[in-house]
Amino acid sequence: MSFFKSPSFRIAMTHLLSKKRQTIVAMLGVTFGIAIFIFQAGLMSGFQTMFIEQTVNTSANIRIYNDVQGERPSLLDRFHDDGKTWNVVRNQKPEVEDPKLKNGKQLMDIISRHPDVAGVSPFIGSQAIFKLGIAQISGRVSGVEIEKENAIFSVEKYMIEGDLRKLETTPNGIILGEGLAMKLGAKVGDNMFVVSPKGIGLDLKVVGIHKSGIVELDNSRAYINIRNAQKLLNVDGSYITDLNIKLKDINKAKPLSVYFQEKFGYTAQDWESANANIFSVFKIQNMVTYLIIASILIVSGFGIFNILMMIIYEKLPDIAILKATGFKDKDIRTIFLTESLVIGILGGLLGLAVGYALQQIVGHIKMDVRGFVAMEYLQFNSSPAFFVFAYMFGLLATALAGYIPARKASKVDAIDIIRSK
Amino acid sequence: MSAILETKNLDKFFRDPVDFQALKKVNIAVERGEFISIVGSSGSGKSTLLYVLSTLDTDYEGHIYLAGEDLSVKTKNELAEIRNEKIGFVFQFHYLLPEFTVLDNVMLPALKLGKYSDAEIRKRALEKLGMLGLVDQADKKASRLSGGQQQRVAIARALINDPDIIFGDEPTGNLDSKNAQLVFDIFRELKEKYNQTIMVVTHDMNLAAQTDRTIRLHDGEVVASELIV
Repeated sequence: MSFFKSPSFRIAMTHLLSKKRQTIVAMLGVTFGIAIFIFQAGLMSGFQTMFIEQTVNTSANIRIYNDVQGERPSLLDRFHDDGKTWNVVRNQKPEVEDPKLKNGKQLMDIISRHPDVAGVSPFIGSQAIFKLGIAQISGRVSGVEIEKENAIFSVEKYMIEGDLRKLETTPNGIILGEGLAMKLGAKVGDNMFVVSPKGIGLDLKVVGIHKSGIVELDNSRAYINIRNAQKLLNVDGSYITDLNIKLKDINKAKPLSVYFQEKFGYTAQDWESANANIFSVFKIQNMVTYLIIASILIVSGFGIFNILMMIIYEKLPDIAILKATGFKDKDIRTIFLTESLVIGILGGLLGLAVGYALQQIVGHIKMDVRGFVAMEYLQFNSSPAFFVFAYMFGLLATALAGYIPARKASKVDAIDIIRSK
Repeated sequence: MSAILETKNLDKFFRDPVDFQALKKVNIAVERGEFISIVGSSGSGKSTLLYVLSTLDTDYEGHIYLAGEDLSVKTKNELAEIRNEKIGFVFQFHYLLPEFTVLDNVMLPALKLGKYSDAEIRKRALEKLGMLGLVDQADKKASRLSGGQQQRVAIARALINDPDIIFGDEPTGNLDSKNAQLVFDIFRELKEKYNQTIMVVTHDMNLAAQTDRTIRLHDGEVVASELIV
């Protein structure tokens, strides 16, 4: 005899059906909890996934650079550290004066031959002031070999105007970030002027507009040819400050960065530690979201708890006779657990549907969010695994909420009730 | 003829609110097919004895044998199975499940036992209802019946698994005298026709006089066991 034909299941269903309104209210509690879960956590995790993807696309898996130390012990400190002398050295310069990577091109060759490396792009980064007419904006120029840069960061995918190859083919091209171009009022074909901290200026022509989606970058960054960057800084043709590396397997970034750092003596930073502050924000965000969702599910759990307690008090005589006619404690427990699980299963399924519908509806409303990142539509996590997880979470909450009343019902003493009638 | 139900030195204490001995060295034996009444003033322990005998109350000292089996050594779950299969109950209140039909109420203990197929159980339940003149009420909700009818449905439910013994706890307490007499007539008939063993607690001496034997309790002691001729 299957469970669904058993007397316990029939009794459970009869209880629920005889209290339709309360059953539906308890069910809607679960529905609401799961729908919020799907919507809220789906939005959060969708956003984070998108952000991580964009971050991975726009920052190197590993970046090798020469870390200019701001502070170091002075020579005086090294020889007079007895604690009795007070050493004062003013205007001490950093040991590494120039963030140059020595033999950068050779390093690049060695790294690009490593089996785990998909591509290496040389890079010169510098502060700069962009001028167009009377508009002056400070930002950063990235001197790159655009073909190599494109191979790593898919620059082309994020071009919204112009042609990135013109950076190579014209002697004085510049690709502006979208926000930067807007602030300057620059359009493709405009001539503009860039000044470096060394005081050297270059006349450049806008050949493209680029939009990575990460607002901070788009507001301040411009690509120029690496030779023009060298001119701006007044350095020779072998000068580079960074090597950006793309790996075949992004998960090897951490161990490989350690390996490169030891091997070459320069700082090698993997993408995760480069974005560590953002990931820690995500962690807090997730914690807050899941706390809110957990409290909603606890509230719906109380709904179930309530209706079961009500049914149990009303059905004490039924429980008494069931026990007298041979139902065991565990049969009684099964009846009320079944009731809470039926509420959970049906309410949860409805919640999944409502949550999915909410995702679809809100996901199709044009938002044009500009903050941390720029996106036209909200991104949701709608993977099946996520829905399964939400459903399991809901079922667990209802099972817990149902267990306490069910246990109480199973412990009812038949004689107490029969005597009091 | 061997006893279907027998007790040996049955003691029962209530500790709360004060120590109180509700049953004192009760030794009784019930033969198969006997129709017995337990009488006594209120507080004499007659209901307590019934609950102990019917395994609902397990907090006692001494031994109870049902069809030769010692009930005092059984676990709670084993006792539940014994009640399901071998014991029928008729209480003062009918205790029918109000949302279920009359037929479902009668079938429930048999479905729990699971000895017969659903179709078979249905047939047997209709038979029992027929015996009690309730076949035409079978598909009605239990809550729709009159008090007398409900009590008869409760008797049908008690009979469904062909129990060794039926316990009645003031089974006519809520009924008018006509219906009360009807219930006793039914018990009488069950005994005569089907050799059903029945034990009822009652305070109605007229009804008690219609049973085969009356066990009189006073302050938890059996003071008389009178055969009624």
